[in-house]
Amino acid sequence: MATTSAPSPTKAPAQSPDRREHDQREFGWNVVVWNDPITLMSYVVLVLRRLFGYDHATATRLMLQVHNEGRAVVATQPREQAEVSVGQLHAFGLQATLGRP
Amino acid sequence: MAQVLRRRGRIQVRVDSREREALVGIVDALSPRLAAPLASAPRAYDDADLQAEYDRWVRPDIDRGREADIAMVRDALTAGEDTLPLTDAQALAWLRAFNHLRLAAGEILGIEDDGWDEAASDETKQKPEYGVLIALGYLQEELVAALGS
Repeated sequence: MATTSAPSPTKAPAQSPDRREHDQREFGWNVVVWNDPITLMSYVVLVLRRLFGYDHATATRLMLQVHNEGRAVVATQPREQAEVSVGQLHAFGLQATLGRP
Repeated sequence: MAQVLRRRGRIQVRVDSREREALVGIVDALSPRLAAPLASAPRAYDDADLQAEYDRWVRPDIDRGREADIAMVRDALTAGEDTLPLTDAQALAWLRAFNHLRLAAGEILGIEDDGWDEAASDETKQKPEYGVLIALGYLQEELVAALGS
């Protein structure tokens, strides 16, 4: 019986190291929220839900990570979007930074 | 004690004249301190050049937004009403304003660590800024609950 081989999937061209570095630089910016002793836990959960659309359980887990470990990466976004997110977090009075992983 | 209720999808803050007067006093006492960046004001970037760009292009919008939030709260409190209806957007503005005012109070008290409320001395508890932290913290909890319900 004749058989036909399945077409081999087209391989995506391998990215050059420069391209990977560029993508990482432009698209992989972490938005980090830092602990502060004043801001209420419930308020942090609300802000994370409103800004990033997280469900209550995810926002609470991230808030507890901030509280217990001092910081948490709450999103990874292209640089411009990450800067907007950090600006929104600052507007809510939260300690937040953005940086490369 | 002021109350925050959710009725027919609208948030209502019930606050009597004495409480409104006290809250306006808090706003007036602490908002000038927010005109200059707090020592605890967060940086966005480690990189000095990127931070300078952020301060030039993003920070002014944040400052204007904070001033608008605080003005909104003050206007509502001086309107002479015991019941203040808020949309969700207005409730978020109140929350932002209260958080900035609490941060200013915390900076005046020199609070740097968690557990400040349990560790506070009797002397600290007598300071007006300590009362601000407790009173506005209570209202923030009430507003968060109303927004989440």
